Amino acid sequence: MFAHYIDLGWRSFKRTPLISILMVLAIAVGIGITMTSLSVYHMMAMDPIPHKSDKLHHPQLNTLDDGRNWNTPDDLPYQLTYQDVQNLANAPVPALKTPSFRTGFSVHMNSPDVKPFVESARVVNRDFFDMFELQFIYGGPWSQTEQRDASPVVIISSEVNERLFAGQNSVGKQIYLDDTSYRVSGVIANWDIHTKYYDLNNGAFNDPENLFIPFSLTAVKELASWGNNNGWKRENIDTFQDKLNSEELWLQFWVQLNTAEEKQEYGEFLMAYMQDQKAKGRFNRENLEFGLRNVVEWMEYNEVVSEDNRVLVGISFMFLIVCVANILGLLLAKFLRRAPEVGVRRALGASKRQVFYQHIVEVSMLGLLGGLIGIGIAQLGLWGIRTTYGYYSDLATMDITMYLAAPTIALLASFIAGLYPAWLVCRTTPAIYLKSQ
Amino acid sequence: MFEIKPIFNALCRSKVGAILLLLQIAITTAVVSNASFIIYDHVQYLNKETGFPQDELFRFTVLTFGKDRELSQQFELDEAMLRNIPGVINAVTTNAVPLSGSGSSSSFRLKPSPEESESVNAAYYFADEHALETFGVKLIEGRNFLPEDVRITNTIENAPNVAIVSKAFAEAMFPDEPALGKNFYYFGDKPLKIIGIVDTMLSPWPRSSRPPENTILVPMINPGMYQHIMVRTQAGERAAIMRQMEDVMLDAYNKRVIINIEALDQVKQDYDASDVLMMRMLIVIILVLVSVTALGIFGLTQFNISKRTKQIGTRRALGARKSDIIRYFLVENAMVCLGGLFIGSISAVLLGTQLMQWYSIPALDNSYVAVTALAVFAMTMLAVVVPAKRAANISPSIATRTV
Repeated sequence: MFAHYIDLGWRSFKRTPLISILMVLAIAVGIGITMTSLSVYHMMAMDPIPHKSDKLHHPQLNTLDDGRNWNTPDDLPYQLTYQDVQNLANAPVPALKTPSFRTGFSVHMNSPDVKPFVESARVVNRDFFDMFELQFIYGGPWSQTEQRDASPVVIISSEVNERLFAGQNSVGKQIYLDDTSYRVSGVIANWDIHTKYYDLNNGAFNDPENLFIPFSLTAVKELASWGNNNGWKRENIDTFQDKLNSEELWLQFWVQLNTAEEKQEYGEFLMAYMQDQKAKGRFNRENLEFGLRNVVEWMEYNEVVSEDNRVLVGISFMFLIVCVANILGLLLAKFLRRAPEVGVRRALGASKRQVFYQHIVEVSMLGLLGGLIGIGIAQLGLWGIRTTYGYYSDLATMDITMYLAAPTIALLASFIAGLYPAWLVCRTTPAIYLKSQ
Repeated sequence: MFEIKPIFNALCRSKVGAILLLLQIAITTAVVSNASFIIYDHVQYLNKETGFPQDELFRFTVLTFGKDRELSQQFELDEAMLRNIPGVINAVTTNAVPLSGSGSSSSFRLKPSPEESESVNAAYYFADEHALETFGVKLIEGRNFLPEDVRITNTIENAPNVAIVSKAFAEAMFPDEPALGKNFYYFGDKPLKIIGIVDTMLSPWPRSSRPPENTILVPMINPGMYQHIMVRTQAGERAAIMRQMEDVMLDAYNKRVIINIEALDQVKQDYDASDVLMMRMLIVIILVLVSVTALGIFGLTQFNISKRTKQIGTRRALGARKSDIIRYFLVENAMVCLGGLFIGSISAVLLGTQLMQWYSIPALDNSYVAVTALAVFAMTMLAVVVPAKRAANISPSIATRTV
C-alpha cells in the first residue's frame, strides 16, 4: 500500500507541478534558513567534551570587598588572583587540577635558518593534559620534578613541530621562546576543539595555543598575560612581584571532580579556604561566596552563544512557521480541488483512514524533498557565513546531527501543514461528488 | 457601498484560508519591522564617523625578544626611521590600536580620591606628541603635547600630568563649563590637566556599551616587548609601504618579530565582521520572507477564486459588473490584511520590547512598524489584483452550465 501511495503522490505532484514545486521550495527555503542559523547555534552551544563536561569544574572566589559589583549575574569575578591560584594548586586535595593563563613568545632556533615567528602559549600544570585529554604524538607531559623546579620545558603542537622540525620526533631538542632555550618534552596531536572552553576570555572560538609551559615559570620568567587582567582595588603595581601579590584577577583554574561527593567536598574546602584567608585579612565581606561550575554551566555563564545568534535562530523559526502556514494554504487548495476524485475513491470502498494516510504520505514526500533541497540551501548559507566572517569558519558547518535534523524538521513541518488539509479531504462525503458527475 | 457585511459573512464560512492569511501577514509584519530596525541600527553604527582617516593609516605589532637593546631608545630610532620613508606622514608607538577591539579603559574622577566624586569611563591611548598627526584627529581647542610633556616611564610616580581629551569626554566630565585647563584624576589622586580637546576620536571598541566616544590621550611611553606602532601615509602609498614594513623593521634590528601588519580600514572591517554578517542574514531573511508571503497570498487567493467560480458566474449573471468582482476580492483581502496587520503590529511592538529586554538592541521605533504595515498592505493588495482580474473575466455562462 505504501508504495502505491508514493506512486499516487508522485502522480499528484506531476499533475500540478507549479503548485507542488512552490510547496517544495517553501519548505526548502524555510529549512535552509533555519538550518543555517541553527547549525551555527548548535556548534556554539555544543558540549565540547561530552563524556567529561560534568567533571571539569572552574572555581570562582568572590575576593571583592562588600558593595563591589562585577559584570556577572552573581557578582563573582570570572578569574582568580595569583595568590589564590597558587594556594588552590598547592592544597592537598586529591584531584587533578591546574591553573591556566595565556601568554606568548617569539619562537626561534637562535639561528638564521628559521625566521622567528610569534605563537601564543598556555601556562599550566601537567594535570592539564590529562584533564582535557590532549593526545601526544611524541613524548608526554613534563615531570613532577621539572614542574616543581620550574625547568624550561615546553610541549609543542604538531603544527609547530612541523614548522621547526619537519614533523620529526623532536622530544629532547631545544627551541627558543624569546631569549630562553626550552627542552621539548612532548608533541601533541592537533587539538580539534572549536570552542576554547578552558579559556573563554578572549574569543571563545579562537584556536587553542600551540605551546604549553609549566605554570611554575610564571614568577621566574615574569610571564605577561595575553588575556584579561582586571584590577578592582587601588593598588600600586610597579613590579611583577607586586602583581603576583596583588588582588588583580587574571588567572583561570580547573579542577576535575568525578563525583557529586567530590564536588561537595571541594566546595567545603573552598569555603574553609576563604574563611582562613578572611582571618588573614583578605575577603573583606559579610558573606563568603564561591562558584564551582562545570564546563556546560561555565559556557552558559560566559554567554558563549552570541546574542545575535539567538535572535537569528528565533527569527528563522518564525520564518519556518510562515512557510508552514503557506504550505498549509497551498495544500488546502490542492487537496480540496481533488475532492471529486476522493469522493469516487471513498465510494469504491477506501476508508477515511486510508484516504488520510494517502495524503499524509504525499505531504511527507514534499517535506522530504524540501528538506533535502533545504540542506543544499543551508550549505550555501553557511558558505556565505564563512566568507563573511572568518572567525566563524569552524562553526558554520553541519555535523551529522544537523544533517539528520534537517529532514526531520522538514518532515515535521510538512506533517503539521498537511494534517488539517488531509483531515478535511478524508471527510469528503462521496454522495455529493457522485451526484454532480 | 463596500458590501462589508456580506463579505465578512462569506469569510466566516471559509475561516481556515482567512486565518492562515492573517497569521502570515501578522508574523511577516512582526518579523520584518523588527529585523529592518535591527538592520538600520547596524547600518547607522557602520556609518558612524570614527575620527580617523582610515584609508591612510595602518598598524603593526613588534615583539622584541632580544634583550641587548634599550626598548624606548630602539623605538625612538624606529619611529624616526619610519618618518623618513617617502610617503609616510607620521608614525607613533601606542598602547592600543583604535577600532581594533583591544585596548585599555579606566574610570576617571572629577575630584581626587578619597573625596566622593563622579567618574567617567574612557579608553586611553598612551602616545607622544606625534599621536595627533598620526591618528589624524582634529584638534578643536588648546594645544598638542610638547616633547617635555612626554614621560618615558612605567611607574605611577613619574606619570604625566597633562592630557588631550575627546570632545565627548570633556562634555561628560564637565557638562556645564569649558573643560580646557581643568584637572581630572586617575590612579585615585593623580591629576591630569586638559590641555587640548579633539573632535571625534573613537575608542578601540566602537561597538561597546561603554561610550566609544569617550577617549583620552596621555603623553606617556612605556615600550614593552609587545608594542603596537601606528603609521600614517599618503593614501596611495600605503599598500607599498606596508609591503616593505617587515623588512625595514627587521633590517633595523632583527631580534624581534613583526606581526599584524594591517590597514586600519581592514582592522575596522574585521572588528565589524559579525555585525555585517548579522545584517546580511537579516536582509536575506526579510527578502525571502516577504516573497514567500506574497506567493502564499497569491496562492490562497487563486484557491479562493477557483473554489468560487460558480458563485462569481452567478453574480455576473445576476448583473454584477467586472469591477464589482474585483472590488469584492480587494475588500475581502483588505479586511483580512487589516486584521493581520493589527495583530502583527501589536506582536511587533511586543517582540521589540522582548528583544530590548534580552539583548542590547535599542527600543523599536514605532515608525518602523507603521512603514512595514503599509508596505505589507500594498504588497498583499498587489498580490490580489492579478487573480481578482482573472476572476472578473469568468463568463456568466459558466454558472449556468454546471449547476
